[in-house]
Amino acid sequence: MTAPTVPRHGIITSPGHWVRKRLFNSGLNTVLTVVLVPLVAYLIWRGVTFVFVTARWEPVRNNLTLFMIGRFPRAEIWRVVAQVVIWSSAIGLAWGAAVAGAKARALRAGLPYKEDSAIAKARRNGAILAALALLLAMAQTWGPLILFGVSFVAALLLQRVAARTPAPQVPYVWAAVAVLAVGGFQIVSGFHGTGWLWIGIPIALAASRLLGRRDWRTHRIRRLASLSAVVGVLGVAYAVYAVVDSPGVGWERWEGLRLNLLAAPIALTLAFPIGMGLALARRSSFPALRMVATGYIELIRGVPLISLLLMGQFFIGFFLNTATPLSSLTRAFIVLTMFASAYIAEIIRGGLQSVPTGQIEAGQSVGLSPWKVTRFIVLPQALRNVIPPMVGQFISLTKDTTLLYIISIAEILYIRNIVHAQAEFRAFGIAETLVFVAFIFWSITFSMSRESQRIERRLGVGVR
Amino acid sequence: MTTTAQRPTDEPRIAWYRNVRVLRVIAQVLFVVAVFSLFFWLFNNLVNNLNRLRIGTDFGFLSRPTRFQIPYDDGFDPSSPVWDMVLVGVKNTLLAGFFGILLATVLGVLIGIARLSSNWLVARLAAVYVETLRNIPPLIIIIFFGFAVFTFGPLPVLSEAHQFQIPGTHNNGLILSNTLWAVPSFVAGPSLGLFWLVIALGIAAAVAVFVWRTRLHERTGAPDRRMRWSLGVLGLVTVAAILLIGDAFDASYPALAESGRRIDGGYRLNNGFISVTVALGLYTASHIAEIVRGSILAVPKGQSEAANAIALTGFQRYRYVLLPQAMRIAVPPIISQYLNLVKNTSLGVVVAYAEITALTQTSIGNGRPAPQSILVLMGVYLTFSLTISFVLNIYNRRIQLVER
Repeated sequence: MTAPTVPRHGIITSPGHWVRKRLFNSGLNTVLTVVLVPLVAYLIWRGVTFVFVTARWEPVRNNLTLFMIGRFPRAEIWRVVAQVVIWSSAIGLAWGAAVAGAKARALRAGLPYKEDSAIAKARRNGAILAALALLLAMAQTWGPLILFGVSFVAALLLQRVAARTPAPQVPYVWAAVAVLAVGGFQIVSGFHGTGWLWIGIPIALAASRLLGRRDWRTHRIRRLASLSAVVGVLGVAYAVYAVVDSPGVGWERWEGLRLNLLAAPIALTLAFPIGMGLALARRSSFPALRMVATGYIELIRGVPLISLLLMGQFFIGFFLNTATPLSSLTRAFIVLTMFASAYIAEIIRGGLQSVPTGQIEAGQSVGLSPWKVTRFIVLPQALRNVIPPMVGQFISLTKDTTLLYIISIAEILYIRNIVHAQAEFRAFGIAETLVFVAFIFWSITFSMSRESQRIERRLGVGVR
Repeated sequence: MTTTAQRPTDEPRIAWYRNVRVLRVIAQVLFVVAVFSLFFWLFNNLVNNLNRLRIGTDFGFLSRPTRFQIPYDDGFDPSSPVWDMVLVGVKNTLLAGFFGILLATVLGVLIGIARLSSNWLVARLAAVYVETLRNIPPLIIIIFFGFAVFTFGPLPVLSEAHQFQIPGTHNNGLILSNTLWAVPSFVAGPSLGLFWLVIALGIAAAVAVFVWRTRLHERTGAPDRRMRWSLGVLGLVTVAAILLIGDAFDASYPALAESGRRIDGGYRLNNGFISVTVALGLYTASHIAEIVRGSILAVPKGQSEAANAIALTGFQRYRYVLLPQAMRIAVPPIISQYLNLVKNTSLGVVVAYAEITALTQTSIGNGRPAPQSILVLMGVYLTFSLTISFVLNIYNRRIQLVER
C-alpha cells in the first residue's frame, strides 16, 4: 500500500516538500489524499458545529454534580471534597517521589537527569487537562474550581516535600500514600463498618513492601510510614464515630463517576495478593494446588464479566450464611475482585516466566529455601516486568466499571438515565450526555495508556 | 514378591515428619481437604438457602415452557422449552460474534496497515481512529449505536419506515426504520438441490484448475495465477448455474405489514443486532489494528529492505513479504481478541438484543431459578472460550514446530 520510493525519515526542506513527500508521493497516495481531505474537512465541520452549535448541553451542565457523585447527600458534600483533596495530595506525593527517585537513580548511575519540559508534560496529559477544562467550563460555579485549585496546590506542595527527600524510595511513599488514602477514605466517606480498612491497610503495606523491600529502614520513610499510621488510626477513630453519627453517606452512596474511578483501584488492590497467590500456585510443583489455581483462573477468564456480575447479584447471597444480606455494591466489588485476580494471576505468571532459570538455580546454589528463592530472587524481577500489563489491566478494569450499569448500580451511565428521566430534560437528545460520558472515559484511559507507554520506555522492559 | 523398598543401610533413616516427600503429600492432602471443605460449606449453604426459599436445586426447568416471546423472533413459540430459548440465545450470540469478527478483522487489518502508511493523512486518521475507539468502554459504543443512532436517532419509526423500491418493480429492496431494517432474502426454490449439485461440481472444477496451475508453475515456471484461475472458474459456473437453472431460488421481498408494527418477508435485521455487531466490530478493530501494526513492525527491517531491493511494489511487499511473517506473530493475540468480542456480545443486553445473556436475564425475571440459569449461561461461554483456546493452542504448537 505504501510506496517504497520515499524513505520515511528523509530530510524535509520546505512545507511544499513536506506536502509532496508526505501526501502526494505516489499515485495511490495522491488519490487517497484527494479523497480524504474533503471527507476529513466535512467530519471536522460536523463535529465542531455539533459541539458549539447544535448540541444542547443543558442536561449535562445542570447535572454535573449528579454525574460526579450521584445522589450523595448534598449536606455532606464536604466529605467528597475532602476525599478528592486527600487523593490529589497522595498522588502528588507519589509523583514527587517518583521524580526524585528517577533523579537519584540517574545521579547514582552518573547520567545527566533532565526533567520533561512543561510543554511535554502538557502534551502528555492533554486529554486530562481538556477534560478538566471542559468540567470547569460546564460547572459555572465556584465550587469545583476551588476544589481543583486547592487539591492542585496541595499536590504541588507534597510533591516538593517528597522531591527533597535525599533517598527517595518510590514504593514506600506509595505505601504511605495508600495508607493515607485509605485513612482519608474513612474520614470522608463515613463507612458503615470499618472492615474494609482492616483489609485495605495490610494489603497496601504488604503489596508495596513486596515491590521493593531493600530500603525499608530509610529513616524518612519510617517517619512517613509512622505519620500515615497516625493518619490511619485517626481515620479509624473517625470512621467509628461516623458510623454512629452520619447515616446515609456510607458505602451505598458511592455513585456516579466517583464510583467508576474508585472501583478499579480498589478491586485491583484487593485482587493483587490473591492474584499473586494464584500465579504462584499455578506454577507450584504441587499438582493439587496447580489444578485448583488453573481451574479458577480459566473459569473466570472464560466467561464474560456480566455473567459473573449476574452471578454476584443472584448467587453470592445463597452461598453465605450472613445474617443481613450483603448490599449489591459489596457483591459487585467481590465479583470485580474475583475477576481482576484471575487476570492479575496470568499477568504475574507471565512475569514469573520471564525470570531466567539461571537466577533460580543461582539462588538454590547458595542454599536458599524455595520460599526465599521466590521471595528474594524471582518476585522482585518478575514484578518489574509486569508493571506495563498491570497498567493495561487497570485501564481495562476502569472501562469495565461501566458494566455495573447492567446490574443497576448507579455508576455514571446509570446516572445518565436518571438525568434523562428528569421532567425538564425529557425532550432533550440523548447523544450529548453520552458524548460527555464517553469523553470523560476517553480522557482518563487515554492519559493512562500514554503514561504507561512512558513507564514502559523508562523501565526498559524488553530492552535490557 | 516383596513390595518393601530396599534401603541401603548406610543412609540414615529420615523421620517421616522430616521427609520432604511425605510432607509434600501431607501438605497437598491438607490443601485439598481445605478446598473441599470450603466448597462443601458453600454448597451446603446454597442447598439450604435454596430449599428454604423453595427454589429447588435441579435443572428440570430447562424442559418446561419458556413462557415469553423473544423480541424480533416471530418463529419462536413461547410454549417451547427453555432449552430452545438457550439455543436461540446461543445462535444470536454466535451470529453477532461472527459478523462482528468479520467486520473487526477487515477493518482492523486495513487500519493497522494504514497506520504505517507513508501518507501522513492516512496514518494520522488511522491513529485517531485507534486512539479514540480503544479508549472508550465498548458498552458506551453499543449504547451510542443502539439509542443515539437507532431508537432516538434520525430514522423514522417502523410504521413510517423508509421503503426503497427496486427500480421498475413494486418490491421493496430496502426498508429502514429505527428498530428494524430489512433486505430481500432468498428462499429455496423447486430446483435448489440441482443448483447446489452444480455448485459442488464447480468447486471440484476450481480445485482441479488450482492443482493444474500449480503443477504447470512447478513444471515450466510460468506464473501460476492459480487463485485468479480457480475463482474465475467457480464464478463462471455459479453465474451459469444461476442463469440456466432459473428457479433455484425465489426472492422474498420485505413488506411493511398493514398494522405498521411488523415487517413480513425478506431478511430482517433488528437494531440490537446491528448495534452490537457494528459497535463491537469497530471497537475490536481498534485493538486488532494495534496488533497488526505491532506485528508488522516486529518483522525485521531487512525483510522490507530486501523486498525493496528486488523492486516489489508496495502491495507485493505487503502481500508476499511482510504480512505472511507478521501474521504468524499476530494470529494468537488476534484470536484472543475474537474471544473477547464473543464475550462482549453479552453487552447486547442493554440494547435488548436477544443473545444468551439477555435471554437468561429475562428468563430469571420470569421466575426461573437464578443459580441454575446462570450456571447454564456460564457453561455456554466456557464452551466457547475453551474451544477457542484449544484451537489457539494447536495453532501455537504448529507455528512453533515450523519456526524451530
